[in-house]
Amino acid sequence: MRRLLVCSLLVVMLFSVSLATAQSTTIEFWGGWTGPDAETMQGLVDEWNAANPDLQVNLTMQQWSPLFDAFITSAAAGDSPDILAMHPQEMAQFIDLGLILPLDDIIAGSDVLKVENFSENAWNLNKYEGVQYAIPLDLHMHGIFYNVDMFEAAGIDTLPVTGAEFVEAARMLTLDANGKHPGDDGFDAANVVQYGTSMHTNHHAFFQWWALYNQLDGQFLSEDGMQCAWDLDKATQAWQWLQDLVYTHGVAPQGQTDYPADFLSGRTAMLIDGPWRMPQLEQAQADQGFNWGVIEYPVVFDHPAVWGSGHNFTLPTNADPAKQADALRFLEWLVSNSQGWAVSGQLPVFNSVSESEAFLELPGRSSFVEMLPYEVILPGIVKYNEIFASNAPTPMMVLAQDIMLNDAEVRPAVETACNEITAILSIP
Amino acid sequence: MGRVLPRARADTQTRTAPRFSYKTTAYLFVLPYLIFFLAFRLGPALVGLGMAFTNWRIVGQPDWVGFSNFEAMTRDTRFLDALRNTAVFTVLTVPLLIIVGLALAIFMNQPRRGRTIGRVAVFIPYVLMSTVVGVLWTWMLERDFGLVNSYLKYLGIAPVPWLLNENVALYGIILTTIWWTVGYSMVLFLAGLQDIPEELYEAARIDGASPWALFRFVTIPLLSPTIFLVALLSIINSFQVFDQAYVMTSGGPGTSTLTLVQYVYTAAFQFSRMGYGAAIAVVLFVILIAIALIQARSYRRGLTGTMQ
Repeated sequence: MRRLLVCSLLVVMLFSVSLATAQSTTIEFWGGWTGPDAETMQGLVDEWNAANPDLQVNLTMQQWSPLFDAFITSAAAGDSPDILAMHPQEMAQFIDLGLILPLDDIIAGSDVLKVENFSENAWNLNKYEGVQYAIPLDLHMHGIFYNVDMFEAAGIDTLPVTGAEFVEAARMLTLDANGKHPGDDGFDAANVVQYGTSMHTNHHAFFQWWALYNQLDGQFLSEDGMQCAWDLDKATQAWQWLQDLVYTHGVAPQGQTDYPADFLSGRTAMLIDGPWRMPQLEQAQADQGFNWGVIEYPVVFDHPAVWGSGHNFTLPTNADPAKQADALRFLEWLVSNSQGWAVSGQLPVFNSVSESEAFLELPGRSSFVEMLPYEVILPGIVKYNEIFASNAPTPMMVLAQDIMLNDAEVRPAVETACNEITAILSIP
Repeated sequence: MGRVLPRARADTQTRTAPRFSYKTTAYLFVLPYLIFFLAFRLGPALVGLGMAFTNWRIVGQPDWVGFSNFEAMTRDTRFLDALRNTAVFTVLTVPLLIIVGLALAIFMNQPRRGRTIGRVAVFIPYVLMSTVVGVLWTWMLERDFGLVNSYLKYLGIAPVPWLLNENVALYGIILTTIWWTVGYSMVLFLAGLQDIPEELYEAARIDGASPWALFRFVTIPLLSPTIFLVALLSIINSFQVFDQAYVMTSGGPGTSTLTLVQYVYTAAFQFSRMGYGAAIAVVLFVILIAIALIQARSYRRGLTGTMQ
């Protein structure tokens, strides 16, 4: 008898659970955040899910590159998530494969998802050939974090703005075991205990080159998009400045790999990195009293320009059309409540959030906000991956490592890379 | 033994006729594996072979392009780099796996205290996942704070920029691979050593053979099937090296550790050029088949040689 009671109770429970799930919709949301960003995004999704039992969001995260592999293969099988996050420069390849939707008609009826509510620059970066393909969440760019105590110890009281000032500051901050700087008599380059700045040996090296090349108004592709159109003098000049920091001025370590660790342990006095690093620095400040500040990326050549990118949301073509309205409802909430996302260090581009005092009061943000108008993103072209992917032997990766790790002569390396890019673009 | 078994079978047959013949039963046992083999190995391999002659981009319809993927390979410096790196990796790794594996096996075969612990210690890296091995050795080979360089420093050797220099990065990957997989060849050699009858060594010793002569004229000839097996397996595995190199260097610096399998993955999935990736995979397959055939032939010739 008791067993019968338990059984019938179980049946009732199962029935009610299935009823509950029948009433709520679940949308799939994919993003490539790992590390602290991932926790922040999951927190926002959890907040939405708690408040909206009728529309549950299932967030799936893994690193960007395998995420896109999974997206393409599942799309080939006719299945896609309802929302896919990416970066503006990556959209073209998916547009070319017909995997993401043009949004102009879809968002026409929305009061939230329109240009007036966003930073205009950010909104327009998400267009491809004049058509809106994504809704921006944030922007990020390079800036320079500095160790306040080391700057004081070196007697630097004006923060560097130009390239020359940056190199001089880095020289004053570079110390050998006897406290001498590079260029001093008897400086011991083999026993440097503190370097002025970090210097990238990974894809961020060519991100920096892209900023410097833009400071010289260099062009990447020919007008028809079929050829590498580098101005070889300018391209060389920009790379040379980066290479010299390591091999000529000796103010940055050679072959560096763990940039934030070197900065936090005092091996380098400056760290060239993005705003996503701020939560970690805030933590170090709270735990060990690590004093840090932010300087804008130096103006080395004619005018300011800084490498940047951003996160955005796209709607895949193969997603269930019946869930499109639900996906938009969630995205409207997410972008307009992105103050929670700002905690991760990213710069929200929804005006009411980015202009709020609560945001601007967060440490370090104002210097990054100052750089927003000067942000340049890499060319968003169909063959973006073949030219720029960081985990493949792409021409830009090979070039960056050749120059920054092997101390290769810059001009021939630049010419080789440019020829390779043209060759890749010529493959149909 | 051979005569006893059929008679036992005959006895049971008189009592209950078997539902299936001997042959059918055997096929039924093989069937589950066969299904998976056809569905997940042979089937995709054949589709891949066809794909190599198309320009398929994963999404959309493939067009037949004949041999143009293979022609493109001959002009593709990335492919040639990958082919060369993979060949160098194989040529250096395989002999090391045999020599180090055999040396360890002989050492661990001697009756001494703690040899079980020794065997386990050498074998245990083999059960680790490739990504774990890659991450671990990235740290071990780190130039400034890595364990390997800190030992070299004790010996008065300047730090080696293991994974940061085009000229040494491949050796870093080779070192990692040896540490990771040598336990497996050691186990195979141990099994081979234990199959050699002790009487042969005794007889040779009575004839006054030196330890070197014992090794050269008893151990090596009787171990040759095992050496052949280890060589074949290591060549096949080395040609397919991917995971640890991808985790540790992603093929860099430059293209110095780019391997064929990574390039297949990169072309097919990262660059959406599935047809081209499949064509590279076909080339890899042809190379492996050729090596296996050459080796099998020379092994057979070697066997008849010993018998004579």
